[in-house]
Amino acid sequence: MEIKETRLEEHLITQEPYYLASGKEIEIAISAHRNCLPLLLKGPTGCGKTRFMQFLAWKLQRPLITVSCHDDLSTSDLVGRFLIRSGEAVWMDGPLTLAVRAGAICYLDEIVEARKDTTVVIHPLADDRRELPVEKLGELLLAPPEFMISVSYNPGYQSVLKDLKPSTRQRFVAISFDYPNPQMEAEIVCKEGGVDKKLADSLVKLAGMTRSLKESGLTEGASTRLLIQTGLLVQDGIDIHTACRAALIEPLSDAPELLAALQEMVSSIF
Amino acid sequence: MKPALLTERFYDLVAPDIPNEWDVEEVLESLIDESDHVCEAILGHIPIIWPVSHSLCFDFLRLLPKTLEHLNLEQIPRWIGITLDHYETDGLRAAQRFMQDDIDQYLSKLKGCGGLSLASIEKKLLPYIRGIARNDLQIEQAGISYTDTTSIYVPEELNFSPNNDDNFLLYKYILTFQWGFIACGSFINKAPSEFTHIECDKDTFWLRSFFASFEEPLLARDIYHCLESIRVQSFLEQELPGLMRAAGKHLFPLISLRNKNHPLSTLQQVLIEDNLKQGSLLDHYLSKRERKQYLQGQASVYDSINLSSKMFSKFHQKNAEYIPISPLPFQGILKLRAVETARKIKEQKMGEHFADMMAAYLLTLSRKELGDLHKEDKLDSGNEGLAESDISLIMDSEFAQTADQDKEAPILITINNEQLELPAELEEFTKNFLDEFGHLPANFLSSAAGKAGQAMLEQDVQGQTEESSKQKDTLLYDEWDYRRQGYRKNWCSLHFKELTPIHSPFIQNTLDKYHGLTIRLRHQFEMMRSQERFVKRQREGDDIDFDALVESISDSRAGISSSDRLFIRLKRDERDIAVLFLVDMSNSTAGWVNNALKESLVLMSEAMEVLGDRYGIYGFSGMRRARCEFFHVKHLNESYGEQVKERIGSIAPSEYTRMGPPIRHATSILKEVDAKVRLIITLTDGKPEDYDDYKGEYAIEDTRHALLEAKTVDIHPFCITIDHQAKDYMQHMYGPANYIFIDNVRKLPLRIPEIYRVLTS
Ligand SMILES: Nc1ncnc2c1ncn2[C@@H]1O[C@H](COP(=O)(O)OP(=O)(O)OP(=O)(O)O)[C@@H](O)[C@H]1O
Ligand SMILES: [Mg+2]
Repeated sequence: MEIKETRLEEHLITQEPYYLASGKEIEIAISAHRNCLPLLLKGPTGCGKTRFMQFLAWKLQRPLITVSCHDDLSTSDLVGRFLIRSGEAVWMDGPLTLAVRAGAICYLDEIVEARKDTTVVIHPLADDRRELPVEKLGELLLAPPEFMISVSYNPGYQSVLKDLKPSTRQRFVAISFDYPNPQMEAEIVCKEGGVDKKLADSLVKLAGMTRSLKESGLTEGASTRLLIQTGLLVQDGIDIHTACRAALIEPLSDAPELLAALQEMVSSIF
Repeated sequence: MKPALLTERFYDLVAPDIPNEWDVEEVLESLIDESDHVCEAILGHIPIIWPVSHSLCFDFLRLLPKTLEHLNLEQIPRWIGITLDHYETDGLRAAQRFMQDDIDQYLSKLKGCGGLSLASIEKKLLPYIRGIARNDLQIEQAGISYTDTTSIYVPEELNFSPNNDDNFLLYKYILTFQWGFIACGSFINKAPSEFTHIECDKDTFWLRSFFASFEEPLLARDIYHCLESIRVQSFLEQELPGLMRAAGKHLFPLISLRNKNHPLSTLQQVLIEDNLKQGSLLDHYLSKRERKQYLQGQASVYDSINLSSKMFSKFHQKNAEYIPISPLPFQGILKLRAVETARKIKEQKMGEHFADMMAAYLLTLSRKELGDLHKEDKLDSGNEGLAESDISLIMDSEFAQTADQDKEAPILITINNEQLELPAELEEFTKNFLDEFGHLPANFLSSAAGKAGQAMLEQDVQGQTEESSKQKDTLLYDEWDYRRQGYRKNWCSLHFKELTPIHSPFIQNTLDKYHGLTIRLRHQFEMMRSQERFVKRQREGDDIDFDALVESISDSRAGISSSDRLFIRLKRDERDIAVLFLVDMSNSTAGWVNNALKESLVLMSEAMEVLGDRYGIYGFSGMRRARCEFFHVKHLNESYGEQVKERIGSIAPSEYTRMGPPIRHATSILKEVDAKVRLIITLTDGKPEDYDDYKGEYAIEDTRHALLEAKTVDIHPFCITIDHQAKDYMQHMYGPANYIFIDNVRKLPLRIPEIYRVLTS
């Protein structure tokens, strides 16, 4: 395994990411940062949480260090570990430690996927102590004011094993994300998916229809991301019906009746 | 049947009307020779037809001999249904004609095999139309297509083309087209300013009074219907161009106008022509501007009203009777009475909701103010609730005058001549009601006052009930009162009861019925039990954990004591789960629901036995806060034996659904249990509701709180609700992702184990 120093500059976002605000989320987040408060983003998949963090990091001119959580994530993966380099034991900061040292923004994506014993390491960081004990080094790092921790999760999943503990969630300033309103969503789809306004409007209309099917068995309707992906296929020359089928309908469900109903919506709109 | 008996039965059925004896005897003659069985069956239809039209009822009896030659007794009810449809839309003459002459046609339609049935495609089309409409429309079945704005009615079967793809497309087009009328606001109930002179009583749809103001209402209706159809069609062109393209290609060429000579046939033809031809067809009737408006989707419902009125004289022939045009298959009919009824139902529902909210608000007022209301209530005992003069809703008229805008005017409530401002939430609801129904929900005020008074009475007897509840098999629980944002202390007493086990073949029957499913479930649950995964960093194991090893070497180089957890082991996941099932035993579950609940419990228990999760089952019911009941079926650590099975078999519907106390008790049981995951799964059939004021928002909020209490002690509540339709309150009450709703009871036994599997893996 090749060992690479993680260079902080790589995490600095130099170009303004495209983000269209739908409420006061930017103000809230900036104020949270100013007041050294941690951030919790919740919302359905593909509604712009990750993009928002990129934008925020750019706006605050802080590096953004993202960790995608999974159930094998260990504390060492976050905090750091010793490695051997030419016979010497060398300490490698984990992403969390790195972020604390550099006063960066650390974003733990899909935090519920991580095991509960892993998530507790962020507790002292996420309250007013703002400290990170690095046991193996015998160090107690104090986070500088620029440091920010933010986590995201999707409350739509149904497994109770994947709920966030109250003691974890009650440390955060929470921003709830939802799909943007139709005009804005169409604007995003235009811009990101590279399609014209008319097609974007129709795609957003279709998404709206799929999102009203909660009680008919579709727990999550089409996300903005799916619309963009459909747009990209179309822009690449795939015909609209095929693109919708592949990028919008099939990813949503496996139930034959729902698929058929969705297909009918597509053929009605386009 | 004897003539005298027949006549007597007839008069009973039509009472209090007393029709002419000669007529009655004459029409009943045909029944004299029929068997009692036939007579009863026929007489059974009289209460349906008589209130609609006496003449039609006489005709029905007069024509009986002929009818009975063609139709058997089972076919008659549907045939009557269609006759009445004709009556309602096209009047007595049309209905008579249908009854007398169209039997053969009706029969041949009935026999017509092939075609596409609604049943076979409804599952596909229901989510389709709900997606398109973005609300929960229903699909129902009727002889002729129409919508009452909450449901869309379509034929049971379509035999429009030998090709079922076309039939499917037609179903789809009918549904979409009917939704188009709703979306375009065709069912207008407010007079445009030019037409305020038309009188309209408050129970009648304005549109119906508008039609009635013409010399030939049916003609006015048909003109309006055609114009609105054109409007809907251009709306669909814009909204759903794909559908219109398909309809233009596959449907319209197959449609031929039934009555080409009808004065309105040109207007109708517009609906099945391409854009080019549409313009020239309308040439004759509409100005250039109007044409453009209609064909480009810029016309409004007011334009159609104005135009109908203008065009009426063009089509009206003074001395000839107007015969309605048969609508195109997708056009359906305008059934304003059905819209009126649907609206009344909605109004009633919203009104009841208003009464609940209002009662809750009244209870927050000071005791003195309410006491006054209450006293008057008692004095005037002949009158339930309050006289309307004591309590009323008004718009702040001063404000309304100056601002000249009723929307902005605050709504006030006066109680015994004292004016109070409504809380924001209630005011908003009231305004929505006003917007939708054109008046304030004043008539629900007395019901609200009555409800509040009732609740007061019960508060008074609180002292007495506390005594009787201090028994050993009883526990007291608090109840959340959202109005005061606090708990009512020791408000409910929960009694523990045993179900009497009964011997019944229920369990065996269930196991037989679901034999295949049980085997599959056992298998699936077995797989869950043996969920295996690699765990890293173990002291011993089958493989070396290289990550850990490297780390350990590095650690020791760095001079830190290194870990000895260097192995990977294949580990069977311990499922440390304890779950309580709470079963709704309220009266409303009687019948299928109860049965399905019990079957589900049997299947679930069978599967749980394989899985090894600890589980308990309890039932709940009761009446009023003093007598909530908690039935033991299976304790957590009890084994699934004969006794438990018999108790499952004896679960039966009992009284009401007060959900707070049983959930709180289940929480207190689970709190003591040591398990990694603790779950409460409630199975109910709808809203929590008790006999007293435990209803509406109050009940929802209390239940919600009981669930929140469970969550705060790290117990996960999950609710499975069986209902025809998901309700708005569910998400609020249970929290998103904490409930699932099942609309088909019969699927419950299948779904519950599946839900449990998803929940816990
Ligand atoms: N408000 C927005 N402004 C700009 N782009 C947006 C916005 N919302 C969504 N997008 C687009 O949608 C895509 C998906 O968003 P993103 O990856 O941030 O979703 P997410 O909420 O992080 O989803 P997940 O929970 O699945 O990780 C982005 O790549 C971006 O193109
Ligand atoms: Mg993301």
